Parts: sequence; C-alpha cells; structure tokens
Amino acid sequence: MIWLAWRQFRTQALVAALIVAAAAVYLLITGTQLRHAYTADLVSCQSPNAQYSCFGLMNQLQSDYSGPQYLAEFLVMAAPALIGIFWGAPMIAGELERGTHYMAWNQSVTRTRWLAVKLTGTALAALITAGLLSLLLTWWASPLDTVAGNRWGTRVFNARDITPLGYALFAFALGVTLGLLIRRTVPAMAATLAIFLAVQVLVTVVVRPNLLPATTASVPVNRTSMSQAVRFDRADADTGPVRIDLPTPSGSWALSQSYALTSDGRPVQTARVLNCWRLLLSQAGEGKQGSPDFGPLGACLAPLDLHVDLTYQPVGRYWPMQWIETGLYAVLAALLAAACFRRMRRLRG
Amino acid sequence: MTAILEAHALGMRYGRRDALADCTLNLPPGHVVGLVGPNGAGKSTLLKLACGMLNPTSGSISVLGDTPGSGAGQLARVGFLAQDAPVYGNLSVADHLRLGAHLNPRWDQGFAQRRIAALELDPSQKAGKLSGGQRAQLALTVAAGKKPELLILDEPVASLDPLARREFLRHLMESVAENGTSVILSSHLISDLERVCDYLIVLVSSHVRLAGEVDHVMAAHHRIVCTRRDPGALPPGLDVVSAEHTDRQSTFVVCADAPLPAGDWAAESLSMEDLVLTYLEATEPGARSAAQASETASNMEAGR
Amino acid sequence: MIEFHLDPRSGVSPYLQIVQQVRQALLLGLLSEGDQLPTVKQVVAKVAINPNTVLKAYRELEHEGLVAAKPGVGTFVTRTLGQASLTDHEPLRLDLVAWLERARAAGLTEAGIEALFQSTFRTTAEEER
Repeated sequence: MIWLAWRQFRTQALVAALIVAAAAVYLLITGTQLRHAYTADLVSCQSPNAQYSCFGLMNQLQSDYSGPQYLAEFLVMAAPALIGIFWGAPMIAGELERGTHYMAWNQSVTRTRWLAVKLTGTALAALITAGLLSLLLTWWASPLDTVAGNRWGTRVFNARDITPLGYALFAFALGVTLGLLIRRTVPAMAATLAIFLAVQVLVTVVVRPNLLPATTASVPVNRTSMSQAVRFDRADADTGPVRIDLPTPSGSWALSQSYALTSDGRPVQTARVLNCWRLLLSQAGEGKQGSPDFGPLGACLAPLDLHVDLTYQPVGRYWPMQWIETGLYAVLAALLAAACFRRMRRLRG
Repeated sequence: MTAILEAHALGMRYGRRDALADCTLNLPPGHVVGLVGPNGAGKSTLLKLACGMLNPTSGSISVLGDTPGSGAGQLARVGFLAQDAPVYGNLSVADHLRLGAHLNPRWDQGFAQRRIAALELDPSQKAGKLSGGQRAQLALTVAAGKKPELLILDEPVASLDPLARREFLRHLMESVAENGTSVILSSHLISDLERVCDYLIVLVSSHVRLAGEVDHVMAAHHRIVCTRRDPGALPPGLDVVSAEHTDRQSTFVVCADAPLPAGDWAAESLSMEDLVLTYLEATEPGARSAAQASETASNMEAGR
Repeated sequence: MIEFHLDPRSGVSPYLQIVQQVRQALLLGLLSEGDQLPTVKQVVAKVAINPNTVLKAYRELEHEGLVAAKPGVGTFVTRTLGQASLTDHEPLRLDLVAWLERARAAGLTEAGIEALFQSTFRTTAEEER
C-alpha cells in the first residue's frame, strides 16, 4: 500500500521538491545579502559620526527588500492552498472520476487502510513542505522582522514559524473531504480554494484577536504619554470625539483603542480640548519618528484627567497564539479526516 | 458447500427510486453465473453490492459466507472488474502488476506475467495508451492475479469489438478452468452468455425474474403453440410466463416442474435468447411464479 | 490434437456438440486408440465455453465407453468407431433407404423429410432424457 501511495504521489512530490529547492536557493542567496546589508547599516548608523539615522537606514533596507519579501511571503501563504488543491482535492475525486477506485478498493486492502496510508503519507509530505518553506522564510526575514519590531501582521503571523503547518494540514484535509463529497476533481479544487480562503480570512480577522483574552490598559493623557503619541485628531464639530493614537507596548498587537475618555468613561468633546490645541499648534517640534511632539499638548490636557483605553495582545502572547491557532487548524483537519473515514465506509455508488 | 452469493430480500434505494428490490438469490459455487437484463435493471447495483462497494438499504447479502468488503481476507477472495475496465492511465502495465503484488498477499506474479506475455502487452507501456480490449485484459489479469475464489465482472465486454470480446472470454474461461474460480458476469449480449454461463439470472426493473442452472431452466421452459385458448385452459402444473394470441392461435411460454404432458399442441424448447427475451417482456406476476418454479425445478434436480 | 468449435445456432446443447465432434473425429479416423483429448483448459482457451461443459462432455464419452480419464494425466481414447461400425448397422441402413422411398412416394420434399426427421429425433432424444 505504501508503494502504491508513493507511486501515485511521485510526480507531485517531485514538483514540490523542485519548488522548495528553488525557493531555498533564492532565499539563501538573498538572505545572506540581506544580513550583510543589515549588519553594515547597523554599524554605520550607530557610529559617532553617522551620516544617516538608524530609522532612515532601516526604512531603506525594508523597502529595498520588500519585493523579495512579498514574493516569499506570498509563496509561503499560497503553499497550503496549493497543497489543498493539488494534493488534497484529486486524491479521492480523481479515483472516483476515472473509476479507478473500482480497482483500488477491490484489492486485499480495506478502504479504511487505503485512506489511512494515503492520508498519512501525503499529510506528512505537506507538513515537511510547509515546514521547510516556513523555516526558510522565518530565517530569511528575521532582520526585517526585528526592524519592524512587530510579528503580528498578517503577512508575518501567517507566514512564519508554525502556523503554515496548521494551514497546510487543514487545506489538505479540506481538499480530500471536498473531493470525496463532490466526486469531481476540478469542482473540488475550486471549492477547496474558496473555502480555504474564507476560513483563513475568518480566522485571521475574527478569531485570532480573541484566541486569548486581550489586555486592556488605561493610559492617562499627560506630557509623558503624549510625547509618545503618533496622532491627535479632533473632530470638526465641537461636540465630536477626540482620537489620540497612543502606541501600545513594543511588539504588541494593537487591537483597538477608545476615544479620549473623561474620568467617567465618556468620550471628551472636542470643545474642551480646543484651547490646548490652538495654544500649542504653533509649537510643533521634532517628535517620535517624524511626527510632532505632542508632549506639551499632553501637559496642557493633563488637568482634564483624560485617559485612553488601549486593547492589545502583548508581545509575549505571540508564541502561545501561534500554538493555539495551529492547534485549531490541526483539530479541524482531524475532524475532516474523521468525516472522510466515516463517509468511506458508507459509500453509495 | 458455501454459496458464492446469498441474498435475502436485498434492496438498494436511492431517494425514491429502487435500483434493486426484494432480491433473493442463492448461487452455488463452481459456476459461471450470467446476469442479464436491460440497462438500468439493477445489474451493476447487484454486483457492486456483492463486492462491498455499496451498502444495501434493505435486506442482506453475504458473499463466500462473509459480508462483502468486510476485511482484507474477504477482499482477497473476491475480484472485481468494473464496466469499461478502468485502469490507471499513467501507470504502466508492469506497474499494475506491481500494484497487484503489493496489495494482495496471494498474488501470483508468475501467472500474471505469463498472461501479459501471452497477450503480447509491452510491460513498460502506459495503461492509458492501450486499446479497449487490452485494457480489459489487463484489468482481468489484475483481478485474477490474486487468485480469488470469485470473480465479479460488470459488463466487461460491452464496448469491445467481437475479436477482443472473444479473446477476453477465452482468457476468462482459461482462468476458471485453471483455478476453479466461480464467476458472476453481467452482460446484455446473450450470445456471449450462452457460450460461457451455466447459471442464469434475469433482472428486469430492479427485480429478479428468473434464477437457476441453465440446463434446468432450458429444460423446464417450453413454447406451446395451439388453437386459441385461455391460459387457464392449460393443464395444471404449468406456469405461464407469456401468452400471445391471434384470432386462431395461441402461443404460450410455460415453465413446468415435471416433463410436459401430452396435449393437443406443438411444444418445443426455446433458445436462451428467446427465453431471456420472454422474461424481459413478461408482466410481473407470471414472471415471479415462473422464477419460483424454475428454482424449485433446479432445487429438485440437484436434490438439495 | 483435435480442435472443437461451437455452433450457437444448431439448437444442440454445447456439451452434446462436443460429444458429437469427438465421435465424428473417431469416425473419420482423426482420433485413434490411446490418443489424448485436449485438456479442459486447452479447450476453453481456444473456444470460449464453460469448463463444466467440457467436463460434462468428457464424462458422457466416458459413460459411453469411448474414453477414459486418468487423474492428473488427461483423458484418453479407449475405443474407436471405425468404418467397420457403419457396416455393422447394414440392416438399419436398408430400413432407412426403404423409409426414404416411402417418404418420397408420400409427396414429402427433401426439406420436409429433413424437418420431420429433425423434430422426431429431437422429441425422442428429449423423452429419453
């Protein structure tokens, strides 16, 4: 049975191996270049008579390598979908469509064993493929990720470390199940792509923020906190709310922030901050990362006893959430596989 | 002796349609069983139930004493060849033999290779490039190579040219002679069935109309031509399968337990083709009792 | 080694056709005493018929004393039906000639004679069984 599973998977394995090898070559070469540039830039921007700021050099580095980064991230995010479409959907649908299941399932091997061997073998190959790609990209992008300081972005969280493994398992199991239900390869491929994308979007946008309870911090509005502020937005109408973009702790995932709130929890009205705003409009200074220094504004507003509620996932939550999300996808994959086994036993032509 | 196939009120229902209904059979081993009926009568359904590809919605079926498809041991004893002999198009002929060898503990590689050589097939040829007859022969080799006790074939020769058909049947009979394999073979080509089958099942509109050993069935059925009369006017003990009347003449096809009594008629036996066609055209009630009568006849003769 | 053929339209059951063909071969001298008949496997590999048919035919021939089966070896001819046997039945032949003359005198055509002979032959053969 292992021979048959391998013999039928041979071509697909070869294609995957070629793609991974090509990606490896590309990433190893460009990754080494990236590391050299990164270290060189760091040395130069941290030396006493640096010509450019670290901030500027790192920005430049990021934009220099953004092309390869997008490409590599796209490959790693596309890999699970491709696995589901090309390895999962045809597995059973192909046999049913061409009638070869009459030959395969009438040898001295039960349908259950046939499915078990094929599922296990291909799932293993899926894990290895996704794992290698993720490993390569995580290594390649680590300087850039360090510069960005934050690993919560979709193209990062979905394309680093262990989440691609979960996606690959799920997409594969989804493809196999849809192939079994739809019984024709091309429609099953289309359905796999559609449903996989829908699940990915759903989990990334709706489920992930809530995988673990978020932290809420109440930041008072004063000189200290405001000197870190990135934006200050007052409404046009006097009665409108005030938005202050305060940063969450370094490396955390900002989920939401409230308007500037008064001590009884209601949004402060623009009218009340207008005096401070007009007073300090003329006193723009160099603040954090090229935005104005709102420190003095904060000092002016301090007596109003305002605060902003920030909801975020702290940086330490990154790995637990990677594990939980991967586990979630893996459990879905297992459920799909179980459904397949059950369905195989009660075939109806 | 275990029957090769036993079915009790076996039925398969899809939604509101019965693909097979109330099918009761007891097929003795060591025979080549022919399953004949019009398209859509339920032949494929019955065969798929027999090899475990389908689970019945009513009734029961056991093949070689076991539930079909119920484990590696049972699967090893039954070979199946589906309609149009599907094979793996991008696997070579030799790969198909390897498939058989790896998936079947009782695989006889020598037999399979001799068969391939006798057919003059190129082992490295991709199966997708074979002709229809060659594909059927390859599929038969894979099904027979595991030395099953029973071979089930679903219209294996329907789409083959006459030469390919004859060669296929020759190789099939050779396997039967060599290994004592029982065969259940469905076809709508009665001439082929006449050559090779010694047990006949006629399936019409999802029901079994006739089932019995060919010798007994042929001996029990007669065509009677006489002056116009009612079926009831015939002597008792004759089950009327079909009746046709003109203004002066009646023609009956009857099934009799005992030898035909003398009477004012001309009686002759029917060819298998005419017999099958009679059942295909017959209305339900008459056909059912004739089937029972032929079962009785064959049971009596076999002394069971 | 003789070969068999099956005529599906002859109205004669397959096993009887084989019996007849063996008898014919014996009559024509194609088979003599001690010759081996083709094995069941050889027969069905050439003529796509049920092996049981061949077995039944060989058993019938054995019953008639024409052949004998040696288990594990094959089936061998034990007695011939030479031309001599035809002359043994001279009285029968003369009866047949007389009957044919009467049939022609009664106005039966050749086809009529054949039809009458065939149907009577078959009816009596069935009754014997």
